[in-house]
Amino acid sequence: MKKALALLLAMVMVFALAACGQQAAAPAAAPAAAPAGDAAPAAAPAGEEVIKIGYVSDLTGGTALWGNAGKYGAEMAVDEINAAGGVLGGKKLQLVAMDGKGEAADSVNALRKLITDEGIVAEIGTNFSSCNIPMAAVADEMKVPIIGTAASNELVTVDENGKLHPYSFRMCFIDSYLGTVMGTYATKNLGLTKAALFTVAGNTNSESVGAFVKDAFIANGGTIVSEEQCQEADVDFRAQLAKIKAAEPEVIFVMMNDYAKNATFAKQAREMGIDCLLMGHDGWDSQQLAAEAQGALEGCKYVSRIGFSKPEAKEFGEKVAAKYNIGMEAECLFGWDGVHWIVDAIERAGSADPTAIRDALEATDVFEGLIGTLVMDPATHNPAMACAIYECHGDAFEYVETVEAVQ
Amino acid sequence: MLLQQIITGISIGGIYALLATGYSLIYSLLDFSNWSHGEFAMIGAYVAIVFSNILGTPFLIAAVMGVIGGAAISFLSERFAYRRIRSNGAPNMFLMIAAMGLSNVFQQAANLIFTGQYRSYSFKLPVSTIKIGQAYIGVLDLISLGITAVILVVLIYLINKTKFGLDVRAIACNQKAARVLGIRVDQSIATVFLLAGSLAGTAGILYGMKYNVFPTMGNVGLKAFIASVIGGLGSVPGAIVGAVLLGVLETLVSAYISSSLRDFFSFALLIVLLLVKPSGLFGVDVQDKA
Repeated sequence: MKKALALLLAMVMVFALAACGQQAAAPAAAPAAAPAGDAAPAAAPAGEEVIKIGYVSDLTGGTALWGNAGKYGAEMAVDEINAAGGVLGGKKLQLVAMDGKGEAADSVNALRKLITDEGIVAEIGTNFSSCNIPMAAVADEMKVPIIGTAASNELVTVDENGKLHPYSFRMCFIDSYLGTVMGTYATKNLGLTKAALFTVAGNTNSESVGAFVKDAFIANGGTIVSEEQCQEADVDFRAQLAKIKAAEPEVIFVMMNDYAKNATFAKQAREMGIDCLLMGHDGWDSQQLAAEAQGALEGCKYVSRIGFSKPEAKEFGEKVAAKYNIGMEAECLFGWDGVHWIVDAIERAGSADPTAIRDALEATDVFEGLIGTLVMDPATHNPAMACAIYECHGDAFEYVETVEAVQ
Repeated sequence: MLLQQIITGISIGGIYALLATGYSLIYSLLDFSNWSHGEFAMIGAYVAIVFSNILGTPFLIAAVMGVIGGAAISFLSERFAYRRIRSNGAPNMFLMIAAMGLSNVFQQAANLIFTGQYRSYSFKLPVSTIKIGQAYIGVLDLISLGITAVILVVLIYLINKTKFGLDVRAIACNQKAARVLGIRVDQSIATVFLLAGSLAGTAGILYGMKYNVFPTMGNVGLKAFIASVIGGLGSVPGAIVGAVLLGVLETLVSAYISSSLRDFFSFALLIVLLLVKPSGLFGVDVQDKA
């Protein structure tokens, strides 16, 4: 009995201590989080007419790194435009950022609040499809255009029935777009005609990108000589590799999203005497892949975003990183481009009316941004974009060239 | 291509064999399947990661520490979980449930400590291969098969030719009688757990070198369990043969039927075998376990 009492007391004390610890930690965290919900510092002087642009993203949660990087990029764009005289002959811009926590419900609420309370004319964010899909319906309802940043799911701009969300736009290409670029590049630029395709069964990204690679490869005169799949948890690919080898492809498209597995795949392929080119999509985008493959990927290529491979983008990324003391995050490019695209639309429309901005956004042919050249498709609001090819040399993948957007 | 597939199958089966013998040994003594056995392999692999990648010790020492780690966690599981349950006189089912619980705890703990990311040893053998006719075999695979073969031969020798092996076989045959005859039952069981754990640790490190180290890698234990049932639960040579058979079967199914049906075939084989020949291929009866 005494023992039990002592144990109980000890537990109470531990909890009490833990609670104190939390209370002590809370005020310290609060000031950092507070400005997130408030109006951004880029406020215009009182009395002048301002045009408000909203920004919703995760500013406090686990992915706040990206959300804030986007906000910083947008803030810098607003500051620079205001310093250069504003828009529509002198009107000032103001960025109003609100925390969507990376959650669908919070992001939708934030968007509604920005539209009704702040009177924003357009909104930038988020970087998550799961948030932008429900936000698209709100944008349509309230007739204010929104621009997703890295939200790459097809349903962000088009609903399940294939009907366009007229007020929803995005600045990234959809998941499957890279597949088209890869298939086209392999045939047209590399002159390859026989390919094997390796995908992960049940993985939407792998299978859908793979299907587009195949279509583009065949459309440009190539043949798919072997199609193999593995399961999500598989780590041994040699049974499939033996079959691929027998089909004698010139290239294997490897659609896996984990660098360690891609490296294992490459090593197993080389161990089995397969020496052809391996090509991948943005699932290969990793600092560790080349070294991990121990030379098995030498000369192999993948297709991905241009990102910081572009000098202007790198310069801007470094500026943001230095000013806000963060790492190089490509999301800041989206923030910057979002503001510039909206301003471009306002200037072309000659008005800051949300519907006029929407029309001008949709009428955009080509937008030159830091993330690349966006070629807009008015029917789907999906941009086609130039992509970068990276090639493995030694322990690193290096940028080799840019391939133009394909439709 | 068939030759290539069989070679691949044997190399996969080799890893299963190291684990399957552990299942068999423990089953033969305690009549329960130690579901956390695969996790012992995972823990061994992570211990080696900590030594080689974080503390920077030479790989060979790290590998030895990994084997010791696998043995230690196996020993401790027996000492603090299974032995208590046994001495309480609880049914074997309790041991199995405890093992499932341990398996979950170990896996979640690895996830919390090391995150779900794949890790590889900073020590790497160069990617090289040997050509046999039309087929290829990786050097790492050859080394791993060699190590596995040596360990399994030593294990069979231990079981069949030593005093310790005799004790283990006696306990497997009749624990009470063995105890009456003066065999230190608890000590022998603890030793078997140490041995099985070190086999698992070795399997974990070899697996980690080939396929990286990750928290759910212990799931391979399930395949090893099937292998030990195919061979006849409780029979060490049976476990080895069952493991190689399963490895080859899986590779052939992946190659000639479909990789998505691979596990379907493995489990179907298990069910058919349990229906047709429950004692497994090596059909050891109760008298002759281990």
